[in-house]
Parts: sequence; C-alpha cells; structure tokens
Amino acid sequence: MSKGNLFVNGRQGDKGIVLGNEAIARGALEAGIGYASMYPGTPASEIIIALDKNKNNIENLYTEFSLNEHISLHGAIGASWSGIRSLCAMKNVGLNVASEPAHFLSYTGVKSGLVLAIGSDPGAPSSSNEQDDRWYSLHTYMPIIEPSNIQEAKDFTKEAFNISEEFSFGIMLMAPSRLCHNAGILHFGDLRDRFNIEGDFKKDPENYLNLFNMAVKNHSKYLERHNLLKKYLEDSEFNYTLLPNANESGPKIGFISSGVIYAHLIEALDILGIYNHKILKLGFTFPIPNKLIKNFLEGLDRVVIVEEAEGFLEFQIKKIAYEIGFKGKIYGKDIFKASGELTLDDVIIGAGKFLEKTPPAFFDFAIQKSKELNEKLPQRSGTFCIGCPHRATIYSILKAVGFSNTDAKDRDVVIAGDIGCYTLGLLPPYNAMDFLTCMNAGLGIGQAISLFDKKKKVIALVGDSTFYHSGIPVLLNAVQNNADILYIILDNSWTAMTGHQKTPSTQKDIDGILSSNPVNLKDLVKSLGVSYIKSLDPNSVKRFSSQVKSALKEPGVKVLIAKRECILQEIRRNKFVQKTSGAKIETAESLYEIQKSRCVKCNECFVELACPAIIPKRDGYEDKEYYYIDPVSCVRCGVCFEICPNSAIRKVEFDLKVKLNKKKNEERLTEVPIQV
Amino acid sequence: MKKFNIAIVGLGGQGIITMGTVLKNAALSSDLQDVSGSERRGGAQREGYVETFVKYIFYKNSSELKDPKKNMHSPMIESGGADVLISLEPLETLRGACYLNRNSTVIFNEMPHIPISVRMGQTSYPEFGYIARELEKITKKIFFYDFDKISVSNFNSLTQKNIIALGVLFAKTNIPIDKIVIESILSVGKGAKDNLEAFQIGLAL
Ligand code: SF4
Ligand code: SF4
Repeated sequence: MSKGNLFVNGRQGDKGIVLGNEAIARGALEAGIGYASMYPGTPASEIIIALDKNKNNIENLYTEFSLNEHISLHGAIGASWSGIRSLCAMKNVGLNVASEPAHFLSYTGVKSGLVLAIGSDPGAPSSSNEQDDRWYSLHTYMPIIEPSNIQEAKDFTKEAFNISEEFSFGIMLMAPSRLCHNAGILHFGDLRDRFNIEGDFKKDPENYLNLFNMAVKNHSKYLERHNLLKKYLEDSEFNYTLLPNANESGPKIGFISSGVIYAHLIEALDILGIYNHKILKLGFTFPIPNKLIKNFLEGLDRVVIVEEAEGFLEFQIKKIAYEIGFKGKIYGKDIFKASGELTLDDVIIGAGKFLEKTPPAFFDFAIQKSKELNEKLPQRSGTFCIGCPHRATIYSILKAVGFSNTDAKDRDVVIAGDIGCYTLGLLPPYNAMDFLTCMNAGLGIGQAISLFDKKKKVIALVGDSTFYHSGIPVLLNAVQNNADILYIILDNSWTAMTGHQKTPSTQKDIDGILSSNPVNLKDLVKSLGVSYIKSLDPNSVKRFSSQVKSALKEPGVKVLIAKRECILQEIRRNKFVQKTSGAKIETAESLYEIQKSRCVKCNECFVELACPAIIPKRDGYEDKEYYYIDPVSCVRCGVCFEICPNSAIRKVEFDLKVKLNKKKNEERLTEVPIQV
Repeated sequence: MKKFNIAIVGLGGQGIITMGTVLKNAALSSDLQDVSGSERRGGAQREGYVETFVKYIFYKNSSELKDPKKNMHSPMIESGGADVLISLEPLETLRGACYLNRNSTVIFNEMPHIPISVRMGQTSYPEFGYIARELEKITKKIFFYDFDKISVSNFNSLTQKNIIALGVLFAKTNIPIDKIVIESILSVGKGAKDNLEAFQIGLAL
C-alpha cells in the first residue's frame, strides 16, 4: 500500500483488493484508454466512477457522464475513430437506449479498440427488468467476453482492446451484479504509455459512410470479419477445458458454462464432491466456433449447460450440435431456471439432482430451516433516506389527490412513475405509482392516457437526471399534441441513485465549487412551449400540496418543479465547507421532538410520512409504546413538524453537544451475554 | 485448501460494505491466501436489506493456487456455508440464518429497525425472545449487543457500530486472521483514530 493509490500507480507485481467494476476500469487503463463514458446505472456505475475520480492523476484521460447511453456510445465511437482507445459502460437496459449505435458499430467497425461494458442485473435488485443483453449479439454481431472473477475482469478487458482492433469490432463485456460488486484480490499489470495518446481522425469513407449499397458492402465485410474471429477463437486462451480427475465407467457427462455462473459451477461441484466430469469454460460466448464445441462434445453422452436467464449458450450450442451431428443429449434450461438470479444454491441443487448426488447434510438443513423461518418474517423494503425531499414531494402529491396508501387502485388520479430515487415512492406505505417501466415512460405513456381517459387526471413524475436523459422530446411532444397532464420534475440536482453524478441542474459541487454551465430548468421548460410552470420547495408540504391541487384544475400541460437538493449532498457539502473553512462547529441546534403528552398516535408522521427517524419506543417502566424522534438520525428537515395535525411536534433550540455529552456519562456500555 | 466464510447482513446505510472491505484487505498479507465475496447493493436508498460475503481461502501450496479447479471461487456463500454470521439488525439475523450451520457463530445487534410493513400494522416485529430461540435451534454460539447504543455513547454517532462488531468478530470466533492485520488496516485513512478505538471496544465486549 506504500504506493498510495494502487488504481492509478499499481504495476506488475502489485496486488490489492478491488471491486469487479474497478477491475474492469483498471483493465481499460492498462490497455491505454483515453476516453471513458457512461450514463450511470447500477450495477455498472463504479466502472466509470473509478476512472473519473482519478482523472486528475492520469495523463490524457477524458471521462464523461453522458446525458444518455445513446450519446455515450456515440461518444466512444467518435473517440475510437479519432484513434483513441475508448471504454463505454452502461447497465443492461442502457443498451436498449444505445442499441442504435450498437447496430451500426459492426458495419462501420472501429479504429482504436472499443469496449462496451454491460452491467446486468439478474434478480433485478436495482433494475426494472432482467434482460440478458447477450442476445443483442445475434443481430449486432458484437463479440462477447464474460469474465468469471476479479482477475479475469481486468485481464479480459485489457485483451479485449487488442481483439477489438484486430477484428474491427466493438467488444461487449458482460458483468452481472455479482461480478460488478464482487471484491477480491487483483494482481495488477503494467500500464501502456500514456504520453502519446492523441486524437487524429483519419477519413475513411469506405467504412464510415453507411447507407445504400455501401451499407450492404459493410454488411458482408463484417460477416467476413466475424468468421475470421471465429477461426481465431478455435484455440484462444479465453476458452478452455478442464479434464476429469479420474475416468469412470458409466455415461460420459460434460458441463459447459461461462462468467460468474462458471465460478458457481466449480464451487458447486466441489461442495458435491464431484471431480470426474469434463468442463468447458467459455470466456468468449459470441461467436462460438463449431470446432471448439465439436472437440468438447466428442465421446460425451450428456452435456449440461449451466447459465442464467433464457439460455443464450444453449441456443447456440444446440445449433452447433445439430450441425456436427452430435448424438448425445443436451440439457440446460430444463434444469436451471430462466427467471431470477441463478445462485450458488441453485447450481448445487440443479447439478446434484442431475448427477443423482445428494448435497451435504448441512446444506439441506439450512435450506429447510430458512424456508420455515422466511414464511414468518415480515418483508422489508427500502425507502427514502431520512430527510429526503422526495418523501415530502410524494407525500404532498398524495395529500393533494386524496391520500390512499392502503389501496392505490381506488385513487381517481393516475400517477405515472419513472426511474430514479423517487421510484421508491411506488413501495409501501406510499403506493404512489400506477405504472413504472423504463426511462421516461411516465410522461410518454401518461400523455396518451390523458388523451383517451378524460375522466381521470394524470400526473407524471420524473427526476432531473431522467428528464435530461430523454424527457425533453417527450415533454415537447406532450405540448405539441395538447396532452392534459401535470408533469412534476423532482429536481434534486444530482443523479443520486447511482452515487451522485452531476446533472445539468447541479449548481454547486460538494466542495462548494460552482458549476460552470448549469441549466435553468424553468427557462428550458418554458422554451418548449409550457406556459404553466411553477418551481417550489417540496419540504413546504402544505404549499406544495395546494399547488398540486390548483395545477390539476388547469387544462393542458402543467409543470411543477419540486426543487430541493438531495439531502445527502447538502450534508456532505456542509461538512466539507465546515472542515475546510475551519468554521467553528455550530453547537446551538434546533431539534424536533414529539411531546408525549400531546401525541395521539394519529400516525400522520409515523405511517403516512413514514420518516425512518420517527420510531416507536417503550421505556422500561411504562408498558405503552410512544413515538419518538431519534435525535441521532433526524436531519431536522422539519417536515414532520409541519404536518402534525395535533401540534404535538415542537422545535427546540438547544445545545446538542452538551446534552449528548451528558448522556454519554450517564449511560453504561451494555453487554448482554446470552444464557444458553 | 481451507476456507473461512463470513456473511454480513443488515440494512443499507449501516456500514456493512465497509466491514467487508476491511476484512478482505486482510487477505493480502500472504501469497497463499485468496478472498472472494460479492455484496448486494441497491441504489442509495436506506432501510433495505443488504448483505456482503467474505470468503477467505487458504491454499496448501502454490500448485493448489494454480489449479483451475481450486482457484475459482463463487462470489456467494451457499446455504449453511457460513462460519460466522454478523448482523446489524435483529430481524435480519433471521433472514441471514440461511447461511448458518450447527457450528456457526452468530454476532448480532439487538437494536431493531422496524420495517414499513410493521409501521403500517400489517405485520408485527418478532419478539426478541423468538429471534434468540430460533437461532439457538441452529447453533449455541450466539452473541448479541446493542451496537447502536455502544456507538452513540462512545462516539456520539451511529457510524462506528460496524467496526465495533468487527472487534467482537475477533474476540468471539476462531477467525484465522491475526487481529494485528486488521488494526493496521484500520490505522490508515480518515477516521483511523475512531476506527481503532471502536475495534478495541468490540474486542473487549
Ligand atoms: S402526527 Fe403528531 S399526533 Fe400524529 S403520530 Fe405524529 S406526532 Fe403524534
Ligand atoms: S425533522 Fe422530522 S421528518 Fe425531518 S428528518 Fe427529522 S424526524 Fe424526519
């Protein structure tokens, strides 16, 4: 660790603990990239964050958080054509937005190496679908590499740039969230020289002009390059076979897998204690050369393909098996499920069943036990951070339209959701959204509903980052076509959900430095032809709520901007400024407190607003539970104070430090050893 | 090859991921050591279930280290596969109990965070006694503390509870890592003083 920042300074011989995403970024850095861009999206965000936060210490590196994935991939292509190795990253659904440039990339080819890193999200813990972007390759012809662990994430990425240049394809690197957010040991390699990274766009009309017969010619050219790559992959080190430890009599069985699932498979077979089958590891999963599969299948009776989602490998391998006349049987999706994350447990169970080998007793015991327990456990879902302005916005809207957090179906107003932190408003207790699909579907679908269902009012929500991503044409479309809709832009100035990247709304960075060119959102909306625009602070919930009510009475497209910065960023900046300016720490603080004597437990703050800082408490000697604002977690946004119908919450100014210090002396450390 | 698996569970914002990172850095001290383990993180949101795995691998020799059947590790822990489960929230301990076997050690925080469904009165939060009894049915090695309270009373903030729990991990289990390695990891970076102090508090519990 003496080298300081290993991500920047690491060389051959160094090792460190890095995240899968950082390993991908480091691989690109070792390959000498000069361009890196993305539209942020979980689980891929840290790929570009790792490069962006270090860019001042890396010579000739340009990083960009683009406004959307379409722009981002075009940017990477432009850099590649200028002779700059470029990395573009996005989450799985991002490729839907970037699919147009992705479909042209094989036609035109690249100049310098281009790698497109895709973070997929099986189980969808952070996404609105589970799509497996590998299928895109059947029509884009972009080759796919799939690393299995941290080391491969770095090594494969690095090598992908060479292959990209040699065969003139953009290479797709697939990383599911289990790899993106795996952290383990990385052995670093050396970096390519960076002083000579310099753009030089060489005109190449033969390849870059892509229409009419020129497109047809490019089409046949990439099919040829595809075949060359296939030939190269017949014996590349990306794919390899593990031979059985011992040859047994009985049917000859083989396994084929790739990526993280391959790591599951190796461990699953170890847990099952099975070492006598042939295993093919595919590092390149498109294209797959016939010869490679033919060699592997030779002499086998049964083959099991272990993979996540719908069976991209199975689809290809069954085709090859047919072409080469394989007589054995091929299994895949009939054993391993297509929806939801394929876990290590799933692979143990699937492989165990297939091989008729029972898993160890501790495993069965744990599965049984957790099944019993889970039936009784209350579910838990995420919610807004304490003091988040989105909570106030969602609460105000629900109040304006007749609160119904129990049955959203009865609400006579349609509320369209969209993608961002505010999406959490669709969860209980708010149940504030009637539909949610992809980026900017809220206004897109909502405007049409407003045209066809005149009986219901329609509200569409959008965050600032999502609005800038692709919402501007949707809003213009709604205006041009006389939709009757209230569009609420929740402008918190950051792409908060993915780790707080700047948006055009960002006025001030967290170090207090002003942005050079922030957008005036109100002016922008006005220029699109909206005449009803109001911008106000959602934390003034009563004002905001009545504004929603009056806006709903107006015809046409109305825009409300709920303007308040993300609370986490506000706190970070305050801390930073306090620290650097050496300002004396403010000791007199305001505090919000629920007066036990006045609170009637009406639940307005506890359930309807549901700020997590308001908690139930029971004192030892009392048997009644009361509501209490935890002063350590409360960030003093004041929203609960404003909404309590019984004036039970009061604001007190007092010396917080003194009180807490006193408390510290009063309380003993607690240790409670269990009696068993 | 020997393994030692640690599952850490709790809620977003409790510092679960930091615990994993600190533990993983301890695997760098020997060439025959390896570590794997993914984390489940959503967006920036709070209160959701979060888990992270730390899987230590100790190779017998360098040929094992180079063996592709030995040196490839899943980022996940299988059901029943944890030597230790650390949980920063009592109810979530039961959700994480899927990783336990009869020899596992459990370290958990007794300070509850009630989920929304309980707030809304749709379900009730399990009694502490129920949680402890269910865990006892699996293993006898159970330790619990009010990490929130300990953190607040020592540091005026909740932020050290994760490091205090790490101290307990080293005090109560046979984790095959020298605590000096952890101390040297904690002694760099911002917050080093508080982190070292929190670790010592945990060790003494
Ligand atoms: S809103 Fe006021 S009266 Fe109602 S539960 Fe909260 S503090 Fe008590
Ligand atoms: S002031 Fe009230 S609503 Fe705001 S953070 Fe504190 S408890 Fe929550």
